[in-house]
Amino acid sequence: MIQVFNVVKMYDGSNPVLDNISLEIPKGEFVFLTGPSGAGKTTILKILFGWESFEKGQVLVQGINVGKLTHRNVYTLRRSMGVVFQDYKLLPNKTVFENVSFAQEVIGHDRKTIRFKTWEALKNVGLTPKKDAYPAYLSGGEQQRIAIARAMVNSPAIILADEPTGNLDPDIAIEILKLFEELNQKGSTIIFATHSQEIMKAGNHRVISLNRGKVVAS
Amino acid sequence: MQTLISGFRTTLSNILSNKQTLISGFRITLSNILSNKQTFMLCVATITMAISIFGLFLLLFFNLNGLLSSWNRDVQLIVYLDDDISASQKENLEDVFSNNQQVESTTEVSRETAWAEFQSNVSDNLKPLLSLEFNPLPASYKIRFRSSDNRLSHIREFSKILETQQGVESIEYGEEWISRFEKFIVFSKIFLFAIGGLLSLGLILIISNTIRLSIYSRQDEIELMLLIGATPRFVKIPFLLEGMIQGLAGSVLALFLIGGVHYYLKSEFQSSIDAMGMDFQFIAEPFLFGLIGLSVLVGLMASYISTFQFLYLLNKK
Repeated sequence: MIQVFNVVKMYDGSNPVLDNISLEIPKGEFVFLTGPSGAGKTTILKILFGWESFEKGQVLVQGINVGKLTHRNVYTLRRSMGVVFQDYKLLPNKTVFENVSFAQEVIGHDRKTIRFKTWEALKNVGLTPKKDAYPAYLSGGEQQRIAIARAMVNSPAIILADEPTGNLDPDIAIEILKLFEELNQKGSTIIFATHSQEIMKAGNHRVISLNRGKVVAS
Repeated sequence: MQTLISGFRTTLSNILSNKQTLISGFRITLSNILSNKQTFMLCVATITMAISIFGLFLLLFFNLNGLLSSWNRDVQLIVYLDDDISASQKENLEDVFSNNQQVESTTEVSRETAWAEFQSNVSDNLKPLLSLEFNPLPASYKIRFRSSDNRLSHIREFSKILETQQGVESIEYGEEWISRFEKFIVFSKIFLFAIGGLLSLGLILIISNTIRLSIYSRQDEIELMLLIGATPRFVKIPFLLEGMIQGLAGSVLALFLIGGVHYYLKSEFQSSIDAMGMDFQFIAEPFLFGLIGLSVLVGLMASYISTFQFLYLLNKK
């Protein structure tokens, strides 16, 4: 499903952020991506969904050679993925319902499908009562659940989560982890970037450790 | 610059060839406008103010131009006749008038008509002084000339010819006044065009910067659209449409505002300016549509350039 071969990524020609990284994540697996700050977790995720380029190596995601994609066709890769961010990235001027349905509008679903799938996604994260609320009036945990709903609404094969529990209380963080595990049980491949030992202990999944741009354990 | 232009052509043809994307784009545009009401209204208000200023200038320009044209038409040469001019001399004089291609019209004023006009123009307090037993005023011909660049020199030459004709007592055409008046017309037109040019430039800059700022304030939204798999075309369409709608709304509101000002001024002051032979006109239709078209076009181009620049910077990463 995801194969990374000898990838090197540098910013401004200085020390490499990713130094000859190779890893493989089979379909349907749940993987923690861990390491200290600056280890390269966010960078590898950004490369996987085509947001960052890289200097050397090869990246294959569901058979798509990410390095060969241009800005005109990279959207095909991103549509097969859901991405969840530490800062949620919800649109403040749109309601909860509109934030989740937005992800379907951009890929051209009809209105009936959009309404149905948005409702289902909100049900899965337990936030249907808040569908008309604006993000500013929700707690951190609720906002992250909305972000997860948006990421999963198009039933992507892969979900990338970049420190999704970084801004949340431990109890809420565990709830968020469980949501991801439910998605994984439904068949999505999950890459969960985190530096929280508590989360990794609670999750009990494969761990890929990065340090200074290298894989130190897998 | 070439990349920008060719990109614009490609985007426009792609958009027009895909109706579903266009319809979806309109829906998202409407949703965006409703979600960002304050920013939208601020943009529209700024465009309205900018176009109102320009529109009021156009109002002034058209009416001033009309006034100058009306005064221009009133310029005439007056040929005063001898009291004992014969019929054949009069006929000869009329032939001279009709043979001149630059003469637009000739009006004969008899001695009685001249005296009646003079008495009607004099103040009532002075009328007792005019109880004369004879009419001191001569008959005359009033000659109007066609507009041309060398009208003054032509009037001057023609008056010299007329002075030599039999039956002509004197010629009057206010040479100094006409000369100053024609220089004033040229100066006014240059001045008005210069101001108009500067205002147009200012208008374009204000509209385009307003729209660009509104787009830059929504960079997060553009970024998110790309992250969740929107095509570059899909990202651009709502912003292009929104820019056009802002331009259209701003210009239409401005024209209503100007229309209101025009209505007020006409109803309050038309009777006062009637004496100057002037009718307070609204902006001519071609210019009205031109103003709306310019505003929509600038809105479209400003949106395109802003989204193009932002996407270019993102892709460069």
